[in-house]
Amino acid sequence: MIDPIKKVCVIGSGTMGAGIAAQVANAGIPVLLLDIVPRDGSDRDAIAKGAVAKMLKTDPAPFMSKRAAKLVETGNIDDHLGRVAECDWVVEAIVERLDIKQSLYAKLEAVKKPGTAVSSNTSTIPLANLVEGRSDQFKRDFLITHFFNPPRYMRLLEIVTGPDTDADLARRVEDFSDRALGKRVVHAKDTPGFIANRIGTYWLAVAVNAAMDQGLTVEQADQIGGSPMGVPKTGIFGLIDLVGVDLMPLLSASLSATLPQGDPYFETVRDMPLVEKMIAEGFTGRKGKGGFYRLDKSGGQKVKQSLDLATGEYRAEQKPEKLPGKAEKDLAALVTVPGKVGDYAWTILGHVLSYAAKLVGEAADDIVAIDDAMTLGYNWKFGPFELIDRLGPGKLAERLAAEGRPVPALLKSAGTNPFYRIENGQRQYLSADGSYRDVKRAEGVVLLEDIKRASQPLIKTGSAALWDVGDGVAAIEFTGKMNALDEEVIKLINQAIPLVKASFKALIVYNEGSNFSAGANLGLAMFAVNIAAWSEIEKLIAGGQAAFKALKYAPFPVVSAPAGLALGGGCEICLNSDAIQAHAETYMGLVECGVGLIPGWGGNGEMLDRAAKARMMPKGPMPPLSKVFQTISTATVAKSAAEAQELLFLRETDGITMNRDRLLSDAKAKALSLVDGYAPPEPPTFRLAGESGRVGINSAVRDFQKKGMATAYDGVVSDRLAEVLTGGEADIVDTVTEDQLLRLERKAFLASVKDPRTQARVEAMLTTGKPLRN
Amino acid sequence: MTDVVIAGYARSPFHLATKGALARVRPDDLAAQVIRGLLEKTKVDPAEIEDIILGCAFPEGEQGLNVARLIGLLADLPLSVGGMTVNRFCGSSMSAIHIAVGQIAIGAGEAFICAGLESMSRVPMGGYNPMPSPELMKKSPGAYMGMGETAENVAQKYQITRVEQEALAVKSQQKAAAARASGKLTEEIIPIQTKGGTVSEDGTIRGETTAEALAGLKPAFSQDGTVTAGTSSPLTDGASAVLVTSADFAAKHGLTVLAKIKSVGVSGCAPETMGLGPIEASRKALARAGISAADLDVVEINEAFASQAIACIRDLGLKDETINIDGGAIAIGHPLGATGARIVGKAASLLSREGGRYALATQCIGGGQGIATVLERA
Repeated sequence: MIDPIKKVCVIGSGTMGAGIAAQVANAGIPVLLLDIVPRDGSDRDAIAKGAVAKMLKTDPAPFMSKRAAKLVETGNIDDHLGRVAECDWVVEAIVERLDIKQSLYAKLEAVKKPGTAVSSNTSTIPLANLVEGRSDQFKRDFLITHFFNPPRYMRLLEIVTGPDTDADLARRVEDFSDRALGKRVVHAKDTPGFIANRIGTYWLAVAVNAAMDQGLTVEQADQIGGSPMGVPKTGIFGLIDLVGVDLMPLLSASLSATLPQGDPYFETVRDMPLVEKMIAEGFTGRKGKGGFYRLDKSGGQKVKQSLDLATGEYRAEQKPEKLPGKAEKDLAALVTVPGKVGDYAWTILGHVLSYAAKLVGEAADDIVAIDDAMTLGYNWKFGPFELIDRLGPGKLAERLAAEGRPVPALLKSAGTNPFYRIENGQRQYLSADGSYRDVKRAEGVVLLEDIKRASQPLIKTGSAALWDVGDGVAAIEFTGKMNALDEEVIKLINQAIPLVKASFKALIVYNEGSNFSAGANLGLAMFAVNIAAWSEIEKLIAGGQAAFKALKYAPFPVVSAPAGLALGGGCEICLNSDAIQAHAETYMGLVECGVGLIPGWGGNGEMLDRAAKARMMPKGPMPPLSKVFQTISTATVAKSAAEAQELLFLRETDGITMNRDRLLSDAKAKALSLVDGYAPPEPPTFRLAGESGRVGINSAVRDFQKKGMATAYDGVVSDRLAEVLTGGEADIVDTVTEDQLLRLERKAFLASVKDPRTQARVEAMLTTGKPLRN
Repeated sequence: MTDVVIAGYARSPFHLATKGALARVRPDDLAAQVIRGLLEKTKVDPAEIEDIILGCAFPEGEQGLNVARLIGLLADLPLSVGGMTVNRFCGSSMSAIHIAVGQIAIGAGEAFICAGLESMSRVPMGGYNPMPSPELMKKSPGAYMGMGETAENVAQKYQITRVEQEALAVKSQQKAAAARASGKLTEEIIPIQTKGGTVSEDGTIRGETTAEALAGLKPAFSQDGTVTAGTSSPLTDGASAVLVTSADFAAKHGLTVLAKIKSVGVSGCAPETMGLGPIEASRKALARAGISAADLDVVEINEAFASQAIACIRDLGLKDETINIDGGAIAIGHPLGATGARIVGKAASLLSREGGRYALATQCIGGGQGIATVLERA
């Protein structure tokens, strides 16, 4: 059993330090954030305090909840460094200057307890230099933990240990970073830039230079170097704009100063007068006046412009032609497109992939570490070795050789063998010695991806599948586009219930898409509307209500485990479960009102029940009603699982998992914990506010309309929602059953879906992706 | 009729709801501290007090039950002192004074504490469970209308421009800031002990406010309206209390009399323009006192909104120099149930401080009413 970390100190409250402190607080762990004493002003803690205040206004938010922000205590290095004695881990995230870091460590050494881990968030300075002159004890306690920006959202953590680092201490930090901070830890060697930034910086340098040399526009470069290679849609120049154009020379200088002689980076790096001019004139990217792209507002309108790489002047955006044939999807086809497209793609891939291959053994132990670093640290869809497999390892080596360029040893030894293969359902990677080894997950991690590779679904429909995920637990996976819910999902739920009852102990609802589910399939619904198939729509709503109810009252525990978006029906399936085990980055909401609908699959009753039972809810029929009405009528989406708990989507007994990789195992554990003595829940009954409450709510909505905060049709939809939430015809002394509430919900849903104003909203959402405010 | 006098006035500092220094103070505790302060200040023997009559606009939650009685117990008053909570929304604690006047007149006691309180931080305006009558909502929607909307209606009916409203707001802020700076508010404020330390000054006054700054605010209640947050009284936490006794009692016990209560009045009006309530109520009270507006030397008119205050000042023909001498509710704040006792106490204190013979304290009331009290220098 690893001794858990109970308190953390972060020194340095810049973007990284403050962001790391916020993530520690997000995990519910108290954190002390220290910075230097400001030169002027009376408040000696002003710098760290200012960093926290700034984070509370930052979007995307570094904090998952306001509660988390209260766990950050601020101070200054001069007065409070002694308090590191209270902490189990000290993270240093101060300025990248060796002398300053070393002098801080000297001070730290005097006050910290032996065995308290100290780690640096340096991105460039070798560990060996950092610990120079320190005691043996300090060296045992020291390591590098390299976070990525922003620390809440980027899942990569590179850990570098030195020859003297205590293995148990490093494991303690790694375990905390994994379970509490939610990071996937990649072990890097003590080499400049570690893994992700070394390859990433090289990649950007190659891609920028080649775009200039080969006469491409920034749009063409981002088209070719973007999605076909699995790179986020910002591409190359868009990414530089995002991180800051001024960061390029800094990264380049620091790598140039530390990389070993003969590194291929030196062949690429060169002075960039255009970039220097941009920085000098304040065109530092999105944070500045613009970068390679900008929005020109000078003419009163927003006009998208791009920088002409040859002249250095802005011009109107030029949409490039579509890539020919299979080039968008097939890397081998992409690099052989004649002319600029193929040349540019090959220049990037040929250089970057062989550079990555060269770094196995030097910067990382194996290809898995490198692929993880690039997918998690730069959000690439595929790591370099997965890209090589897509391109063909033989073809890559062949072309490099044909061009008289060095072929890295690892690539040579691979021959035409892929870097990854599936053997008996197990994913394996090619190791440096030429043998295949299992790709191992961190201890306790279970992924559906791995289970699916090794087994067949128990049941499968057009939009969902049921899997045996081990230990007597079955899992429903959504498989449709955007994991949308439709009658095929409902069909699967209905088939799954008897099967789980017969052969399993518990059921979970889980998938590994980037979003749990964005809700019901609106496109299908609109199709039914267009042919006026009202009875079909009613059947879909009633069918969904019945299926979710069947899940709720099934004779076994049901746990939903959302991550990413869980909207509309995707939220309602969670609400109808016995428990929710949510990933910390879950964005949950009942957003139906936004498209002129109201929740139709039991969401209203579930929310009323949660609100009525919430702690601290004032007495009387109105407070729970007001809370629920406010959340649903404004289509509020929680920006984290912690916020979902504040909005009452999650109960206090529901769980939150910080590490996405551990969500399935935590959900299983949650479900299994409910098995002993399980009894389905008693159906809730409601005492609702009736007509009087409805009048109160309606008049509040009218006030919002007067203030211009709600549209005319918002008022109509709100009235329909209020009708359900106040119990329709029921009087305040009546008891409303769950079934009565479901009937009201269906009626209001159908009234909405038949309304042309709702149809216009749905249509707009489907075609533009933006809400229509009619 | 037995002569009835105001023999003491005190209030808590007033602070903005939710973000102010009193947000974390329970309203019953706040009022208990003010009442203790009033007793110490007037040196009246608590055993002589007949009753605490306390006004509160939303008497629920921490200011619920019969909070007047609970405050008496909290303030360690003798068990013999009674307690009654009254509600006339914003006019609650002025009504508390009027009830005491009546009680004294019929010989049902000689000394009363008439108090008011409201924590708009801790009990929402409208209460926790607003449940309007569907029938009345149809028949008279104004009965439930938001106060801001009624202020817009008054502005429209009286053609009061946004600039005029802002001029009144700036003046109110300047007068309050000047009064505070010269120590004129210290006398009436009872410092409040809170978990965060002692609070002894108002947290609402913005003396630096300018017409330009106010002109930049968005309308608060209607997209195309003229009423803004800057020309409305802020949501406020506060408590107030006055000591009301018979003239004989005051003389016998050597109390310092601030003013004599000359007459009172209440009048209903259209709910949609509730801000006009003070007009008829004041006319009634003035007529009962046998005087006219021209005879007034001190006027405390509650600035629920600048628009309604201007309309009332205009219709009643009040003299500018007599109005809200130390600033009004736009600057000082308007903790609903506490305002009536504040403005009566303040008018009485001003008469004794500034000289002059007659004073008027008057305010509008949600749902369509006005209430007024005429005082005469003792």
